[in-house]
Amino acid sequence: MRVLATYNIKGGVGKTSTAVNLAYLAAREGRRTLLWDLDPQAAATYMFRVRPRVKGGSHALVTRKRPIEEALKATDFENLDLLPADFSYRNMDLELDDTKKRTRRLGQLLDSVAADYDMVFLDCPPSISLVSENVLHASDTLLVPLIPATLSLRTLDQLTRFVADSQGSRPEVVAFFSMADRRKRLHRDVIDAIPRDRTRVADTVIPALSIIEQMAVRRAPVPAFAPTSRAAQCYEQLWAEVCPR
Amino acid sequence: MMRTTRVLQAADEGPLELEPIITALSAQFAVATGSKQIVRRVRLDTFDRLLGAAGLALEHQTVEVRETAVRDTGERLVLSRPDGSSTVAVSVKNLRWPALVDVLPSGPVRDAIAPVIGIRALMVVSDERRRLRRLDLRNEDRKIVARVELDEPASHTAVAASPAQLTVRRLRGYEEQARRADRLLVGLGLHAVGHGEDGEPGSAQKASVTDRGIPARELLSAALSEFLVTMRENLPGLLADVDTEFLHDFRVSVRRTRATLKLGRPVLPEVMRSHWEPAFRSLGDLTTPVRDLDVYQLDLPAMRLWLVTADPADLDLLAAYLRRRRAVARRALVRSLRSVTFRRMLTEWGGELATLMDTPEETDLEPLSAGQLADRSISRVYRRVVRGGAGIGADSPAQDLHWLRKRCKELRYALEVFAPLIDHAARKRAVADLKSLQDVLGRFQDTEVQRRAMRGFAEEMMAEGTTAGAVLAMGELIGHLDVEQDRARREFDAAFGRFERPSSLQLMHRLGGVR
Repeated sequence: MRVLATYNIKGGVGKTSTAVNLAYLAAREGRRTLLWDLDPQAAATYMFRVRPRVKGGSHALVTRKRPIEEALKATDFENLDLLPADFSYRNMDLELDDTKKRTRRLGQLLDSVAADYDMVFLDCPPSISLVSENVLHASDTLLVPLIPATLSLRTLDQLTRFVADSQGSRPEVVAFFSMADRRKRLHRDVIDAIPRDRTRVADTVIPALSIIEQMAVRRAPVPAFAPTSRAAQCYEQLWAEVCPR
Repeated sequence: MMRTTRVLQAADEGPLELEPIITALSAQFAVATGSKQIVRRVRLDTFDRLLGAAGLALEHQTVEVRETAVRDTGERLVLSRPDGSSTVAVSVKNLRWPALVDVLPSGPVRDAIAPVIGIRALMVVSDERRRLRRLDLRNEDRKIVARVELDEPASHTAVAASPAQLTVRRLRGYEEQARRADRLLVGLGLHAVGHGEDGEPGSAQKASVTDRGIPARELLSAALSEFLVTMRENLPGLLADVDTEFLHDFRVSVRRTRATLKLGRPVLPEVMRSHWEPAFRSLGDLTTPVRDLDVYQLDLPAMRLWLVTADPADLDLLAAYLRRRRAVARRALVRSLRSVTFRRMLTEWGGELATLMDTPEETDLEPLSAGQLADRSISRVYRRVVRGGAGIGADSPAQDLHWLRKRCKELRYALEVFAPLIDHAARKRAVADLKSLQDVLGRFQDTEVQRRAMRGFAEEMMAEGTTAGAVLAMGELIGHLDVEQDRARREFDAAFGRFERPSSLQLMHRLGGVR
């Protein structure tokens, strides 16, 4: 089982769109895939038409009072399951803080379903927190969407340091540009200027396209409702770059 | 992800009408009907049903007709796992069966089945054209909460393997909704059916002989008949060269036949010794050259990894040489196995077995029961193994170990042939002890034979003008085989010690092997 997390300290950069589309593509290839929507805003859960509710909430999951398997929901797509978000996830930091090995608990929870899935995607809330530390330890790859702006590069620096300073096994960090508009000079400059020596930067750039915003209206991944669109092709390219072989 | 499913059909196994089904389901769900498809469903498994035994079901599905254009290749492999989930490999094109796993596109289907089927080929188990209609059952959020699939023969005139069926697929986290759909369908008069697995060739239930007092001939006749069935079952695959295991399994049946004839000498007619034992020895010898070359070819990928100084590509010429030699040897084997002489041999052997129980026992033969023959045979072979093993010293020649290996095989076959008469658990442990000794002796002998063969191959290849690189690489292989043989020789004492330990002796007492 490989774990890929879409993560950024900033919000609104395309984490959920990326997680939803890549998880769909992984499942379409035949990989048994799970997407865990860790964000209490529940955008990924909404896109799959699943109700954002986990019985017993974050507390029951983190303390293992309720097995993670009981919370899983099939999506409308073959091979793709969802662990839905719940509003109580906003308190997940506090729940984790009360456990033993508090930075490893999410990884331990995923271990219990390792035999059922080939790929797990974690759609993370935007923050640096105990949840983020858990995500670092649980993931093989940290996929970081960046809007091509100067401050994004600063954020990537912070994140790279955060990963480097963490104890134990560290995920590979792969950044990529998201919501890019090549008509904007600043976007072009930032994409060209990003240093690629310290952090792997994917060649694929996900453009700012209205069809990606339509995911919330159609409540489905882009390659499912617009398989020949440019956006779908971009996500397919990104998946080809980052998918584990 | 799909979970377990329930299959329903009409009480008279007749056709199913879609409209009443949709009407019934619409009482609780928003029902969306998918496009109608005619799908050719080719069920695949190995000859010995390894996938089925692992709880896996593999289908090569080709969409032949559909109502509306949908973007996909129309051809796919579907692997169903034991938990009811399924894995789909898209973009499958132009696959022909039988075929080895290498022809499958790399991905999860291949990853899942390769370790299960190994070197066995995938073959067609059933081939049907079905008309499929999928119904998605949605809740008030328009989320699919269960799926129902109407699956019926594409033609009502064709003889179909299964009648029209409705499959209710449960989705993870929505089990209650599937149960509700199920109840609605049962209300229409449909009833649940189980999914029976196809029988395995060669898996005919062994005669459950437990009475030690039955005539020994009866037990031997049943065993020999079973080996003949296996030979016949494997013959078509062997002749068509589907995979190397057909020849291997054919040879195992021949060896078991020979061993059983030898064990049964005290109770079998003289013709078995004078005619059939040599006949099966010749048949075994006939198949040896191809099998040996199969083994070298199968081992070649591992042999490439043994190389330290030579380039693995240096063995390409050896690979080509082995292919040529095998092609020549196989032509000769196929010619012999297609001959009138061989066909007559199998027919006559079948006739011999059919009349074996009616042939009067020759007066000078002891009227032994199966239990008595089992005790006598296991005891005799066990003593020979113990004596032979005890006589192996540091300076013993290779042929002494080879002799011991053959006796171990005889003991193993005796434990198999008389298995219905002896305690299952004790037999299992005895076989485990024996197997570890056989493994060591097998490695010793195989490396001995391979070293000599490799030298012979090198000489012939040099005469054909092969490259120095190829010969040097083969030299490295011989060096590696030397080391492996030494290692096996060093492990012999420990393996024999385990076989000879008091607990093994006690086991043999229980099996009748010590008198």
